[in-house]
Amino acid sequence: MSRALLEVEDVSKHFGGLKALDDVSFRVMPGEILGLIGPNGAGKTVCFNLISGVYKPTLGRILFDGQSTEGSPPHEIANKGVGRTFQIVKPFGSLSVLENVLVAQGISKYRAFSKMWSSWRCESEAKRGLEVLERVGLGDLARRKAGLLPLGNLRRLEIARALIVGHKLILLDESFSGLRHEEISRLENLVRSIREDGITVLLIEHNTRVAMGLCDRLVVLDHGRKIAEGHPEEIQKNEKVIEAYLGRKRAKNAA
Amino acid sequence: MAACGLNVIIGYAGQVSLGHAAFVGIGAYTAALLATKAGFSFFLSLPIVLVVSATFGLLLGLPSLRVREDFLAITTIGINFIVEAMFNYVPFFGGALGIGGIPPILLFGSKMKGLGFFYLCLFFLLIVLFVCWWFSRSWAGLACFALREEESAASSMGISPVRFKLLAFVVGTCIAGLSGALSAHYITFISAGDFSFPFSIHLLCMVVIGGMGTLWGPVLGALILGALPEIFRPIVDYRILFYTLLLLLMIRFQPGGLLGESMMVRRMMNKISLRVK
Repeated sequence: MSRALLEVEDVSKHFGGLKALDDVSFRVMPGEILGLIGPNGAGKTVCFNLISGVYKPTLGRILFDGQSTEGSPPHEIANKGVGRTFQIVKPFGSLSVLENVLVAQGISKYRAFSKMWSSWRCESEAKRGLEVLERVGLGDLARRKAGLLPLGNLRRLEIARALIVGHKLILLDESFSGLRHEEISRLENLVRSIREDGITVLLIEHNTRVAMGLCDRLVVLDHGRKIAEGHPEEIQKNEKVIEAYLGRKRAKNAA
Repeated sequence: MAACGLNVIIGYAGQVSLGHAAFVGIGAYTAALLATKAGFSFFLSLPIVLVVSATFGLLLGLPSLRVREDFLAITTIGINFIVEAMFNYVPFFGGALGIGGIPPILLFGSKMKGLGFFYLCLFFLLIVLFVCWWFSRSWAGLACFALREEESAASSMGISPVRFKLLAFVVGTCIAGLSGALSAHYITFISAGDFSFPFSIHLLCMVVIGGMGTLWGPVLGALILGALPEIFRPIVDYRILFYTLLLLLMIRFQPGGLLGESMMVRRMMNKISLRVK
């Protein structure tokens, strides 16, 4: 197997006395869809925030593409090719849908002082932006103000932005929650097509059916610890996982 | 014009600055000192004024932009008072007497007064508007809009928050410095009291009333607030009260400003056109 794209090594994150993440390690291989699942408060989103640079790990190392990234600010990690979405959607409300995507397209321009003065209102940029929007199914809403869109569309808008930034890895934080059935299956297809483009996907999911169907491998967290890792079938049979989700007594009954 | 500069900071980058008068003052004092002590003409000192205001914007912005929203507002008030006190008590700046005898601007050998000066200001205003317009179309501007809306999402897209807030701040202070230099040469006398905290509030009112984040909003705001004291001269004692009332009304009925989103003017036009149909 080739080198891992993302390595999380013995990472802990403490908030005061609370151990939100405790000695968690896992690897994400290039080209795979890895699911991060677990009950509420297991530390999944904390884990995402560590990878994308919002938090700095208390202990441990995070390697992206062989380079250590812990402690770099979010915009530098984004520059390395990591895109992300947020569990609570964060659109640029008063900008249009297309402009939201254009913000992400400027990623290469924000670094060079000389380039940032050129105009973003040009045909070629708009065309590129529209292509991405077309792909996530928002093409006809491009001129609409982002703040007015319903949740499902906003989630897709976030994926569009993450797609542009994350040419190597994208992190999807519960992109499926709160959506209708048809929307979920459309989004599943989208995630699969993203993987086919060679982009690695790490996703957090509450809906276990979606996670089981979509992911190549799963990492299960509970109370900040990794309790299991493996293929979906293995995870489904894992006693610790059943216990974490259903409680000890039910697990016995199920067995 | 200073209102335009403030608009870049507040309207574009979403940073509330309540000390903008300080930067107008820095520009004015730089121009005044250069003119009276070194004998520089306005056009010679202009680049120096811009550099000085930008440097101060950079130095004072660096620490203050690291704190957020309400704290930033308080910090900038502090900056305003410190700068005003500096002008007031350091003898080099003329102390409480201010600096007088600033020569008017010479253009092609003739002194600019009255109408001529007005045209000169108009010319600079157009330049400033052009810079603002360009800024709002540039990637740097877009980065600032994104930061204004959602800082954490913007930084996940490779936008460095400190860098772009600082950029907007420096552009804003530069424009403030320019306007300060112009007014110093026009009035020919400046003192610390001209650049005190109420003036900052006055500028803020212009931006809010005209429309934050719009190109022409601050210009309209400045015109309105510039003309109002003349119109309401009989109630001059109640001017501050009147401003407050105006500001509250604006916040209640037109939070985007007169030229902002869902502007009253456009809505009224829509209504009229519907009736005609």
